[in-house]
Amino acid sequence: MVSYIVKIKGGVNLRSGSSIKRSFNLWGMLSAFFAALIILPNVDLFGNLFVQPNENWYHIKTYLLKDYITNTLVIIGFTGVFTVLVGSGLAWLISAYDFPGRKIINWALILPLTIPTYIGAYTYNGILNYTGVVQRLLRNVLEVQVSPKWLDIMNIQGAIFIFAVFLFPYVYTVTRAFLSNQSASLIENARLLGKNSLEIFCQVVLPISRGAILGGMTLVIFEVLNDYGVVSYFGVQTFSTAIFKAWFSMGDIDTAVKLSGVLMTIVISVLLLERGLRGRKKYSYTTSKVRPIVRTRLRGLKGFWAFFVSFMFLSLGFIIPVLQLLVWSTLTYKKVLNIAFLKLLGNSVVVALVAALIILGVAVIIANFSRLQENWVGKLFSKVTLLGYSIPGAVISMGVILFFVDFDRKLEWFYKALNPNSITLVLSSSVVMLIFAYSVRFLAVGYQSIEAGFEKVGKKFFEASRILGNGVTKTFFRVDLPMIKPAVISAFALTFVDIVKELPLTLILRPYNFNTLATKTYEYATDEMIHEAAIPALLIILVSIASVYLLNKLGEKEGI
Amino acid sequence: MFAEIRGLSFRYKNSSVDNVKDFNLEMNQGEVTCILGESGSGKSTVLRLLAGLEFPLNGQMQINGKILFNEDKFVLPEKRGIGMVFQDYALFPHMTVEENIRFGLTNLSKQEKTERIREMLELVHLEDYAKRYPYELSGGQQQRVAIARAVAPKPSILLLDEPFSNLDAHLRQSIREELNGILKDTGMTSIFVTHDREDAKSIADQVVILDKGETIGKGKAIII
Ligand SMILES: Nc1ncnc2c1ncn2[C@@H]1O[C@H](COP(=O)(O)OP(=O)(O)OP(=O)(O)O)[C@@H](O)[C@H]1O
Ligand SMILES: [Mg+2]
Repeated sequence: MVSYIVKIKGGVNLRSGSSIKRSFNLWGMLSAFFAALIILPNVDLFGNLFVQPNENWYHIKTYLLKDYITNTLVIIGFTGVFTVLVGSGLAWLISAYDFPGRKIINWALILPLTIPTYIGAYTYNGILNYTGVVQRLLRNVLEVQVSPKWLDIMNIQGAIFIFAVFLFPYVYTVTRAFLSNQSASLIENARLLGKNSLEIFCQVVLPISRGAILGGMTLVIFEVLNDYGVVSYFGVQTFSTAIFKAWFSMGDIDTAVKLSGVLMTIVISVLLLERGLRGRKKYSYTTSKVRPIVRTRLRGLKGFWAFFVSFMFLSLGFIIPVLQLLVWSTLTYKKVLNIAFLKLLGNSVVVALVAALIILGVAVIIANFSRLQENWVGKLFSKVTLLGYSIPGAVISMGVILFFVDFDRKLEWFYKALNPNSITLVLSSSVVMLIFAYSVRFLAVGYQSIEAGFEKVGKKFFEASRILGNGVTKTFFRVDLPMIKPAVISAFALTFVDIVKELPLTLILRPYNFNTLATKTYEYATDEMIHEAAIPALLIILVSIASVYLLNKLGEKEGI
Repeated sequence: MFAEIRGLSFRYKNSSVDNVKDFNLEMNQGEVTCILGESGSGKSTVLRLLAGLEFPLNGQMQINGKILFNEDKFVLPEKRGIGMVFQDYALFPHMTVEENIRFGLTNLSKQEKTERIREMLELVHLEDYAKRYPYELSGGQQQRVAIARAVAPKPSILLLDEPFSNLDAHLRQSIREELNGILKDTGMTSIFVTHDREDAKSIADQVVILDKGETIGKGKAIII
């Protein structure tokens, strides 16, 4: 696995491997080390899956497990269907038609992703509950009595609505990108054959963009499985809420681990299902010139409807909640903005910054190793980086807790040697554990961006530099790193934002009394102080928008 | 003999046949060797092997008595002292012409480096282009920068992969002469790869003809 080329003087090497690429042990060793760090918590989790079950587990298994499974499946099923319909439908509308406002809506439709679903959830509840703007309007201005039941979203349907409205851009963006690259001739042919729009959508667009749509939908499902904020706020019992309850109310990690095991079975089924449905054909990447679809112009009423429909989803997923948050923030900013708030902001920025930088370092090292290694070891390491993203936050937390507590116990003698009064759980009660968990969970986000950067640059500059007398490491700093700079910046922006928004991991793993913007928002909301939650929520959204803007700018520069 | 390659063979990982079979070559100092062959015959692969970018299956190579690879030794590309001009030049896009040429200069004082860069720019007639970036140059100019960059560290052998392939026909003739001049000026031992007999005829002292990785002809330039 590791290099066996031993250096002897004069730069001549004894050879016993079969590939020259084995000559950079440092990169390989670091990659192996990081890969091990990612895998170990999962191994711990798996190992603890089979400990003797206790009473809690039997109780859950007998009375509750079925509900958890049903609720989880119902939510991911419906959310999946809705996001696919909305996301791919809008992608088709935007790609194939021209209508008033299309240009703005085209890029604005990504904005719902900047609102974390838990913020969306409590905002909509605030809009729709008894004291909210809708009911007040109906009561006081229009003087109609509507049964509050009709406007109650604190239930499973409400959760599905929230997920669909805020997550559909995952499907939308992938499908739109796919349609604009791939489909021009197919769609034009279908038009020539006299198919109408609906027929083209169902018979051509959906089948050819199946891979892209499924890819987007899988992201949506992972988000949903990861969610804790929405379901707990709405009081829907799922695996995340169950894991939280086992851990926080009962302090029962064994049961939490067992629940994680069942949840992971669902995750793996989703992954396998995606593989199966996607079929053998991957995104076919045409190297020939990309030809955009010639868009049909929609005039008059048709144009208006196209605008109206897309604007409606933009409003539901972005404009309405943001306006509401702005209104609330004017009511509460005096109370909320104080020194404690600055501390909150500082916490969020520091942990996100540190974790994002760690992720960049690890991603760059593993990506470089894996592209130069070009064998199963490299591929394996690169697959390992993707592990965290499919594992729900609550599950990762359990693995990380097991791992760190174990680690702390083993190092107890060392802590005591340094300081006789030291506690045992030094790392596991510190922010180190949280940052570690962030790094595991979001490594994939940074890694994919950096891997794409390397792919784009290719290997010829690396080779040119080697021949001009620079070793792998020197080449990396002089050539590779400057050339993948745009990819590094996007990787940073993406991971930073994801970490600032993150909720379940942070709630479980944060040290005592440690709050971030995300946890504070959530605390306000669950303490029935939804107006106070507006300011930290808006700040999170602002950070996300800034990152979307930056990525857009970078994309333009790169000519994507 | 200045440089000698014996029994070199190689196979890409996902290939079912040897892409280079029993390749042999001897070169005198200052000699220009041409490897001629159809597309896919293994010309670039041979250069990559000599440069140390691929790991040979068999064979040995030595330059001036220094072994570069044999059964139990393999010198890494950065330690070989071989220069290479890539088929698509591979100029570093984030560096100016001057920085590109400076890139391979090590073990020289700052002043010596500046002097060397000046010499190189003069050699390829690009004195006025030092501060430009590669994308601000024409194809022919880029190629000359690539040559200057490869020659600057004074490599023992210069490898050129299809130096004329990216140029239009009328440029081809003049660049060919210019390259000939540069090679003769520097007295550099060099190997260049082409699929064009005219190229081979006009510059080479010695020609090797490859077909599907096999050497099917070898000798003074006259045989073709
Ligand atoms: N990375 C690779 N992996 C597998 N096979 C390869 C790889 N690179 C080249 N080959 C194969 O090796 C053979 C020789 O390729 P090579 O690039 O050396 O040809 P060439 O003579 O330089 O051709 P051209 O004139 O088109 O540049 C070809 O059959 C090619 O398909
Ligand atoms: Mg070639």
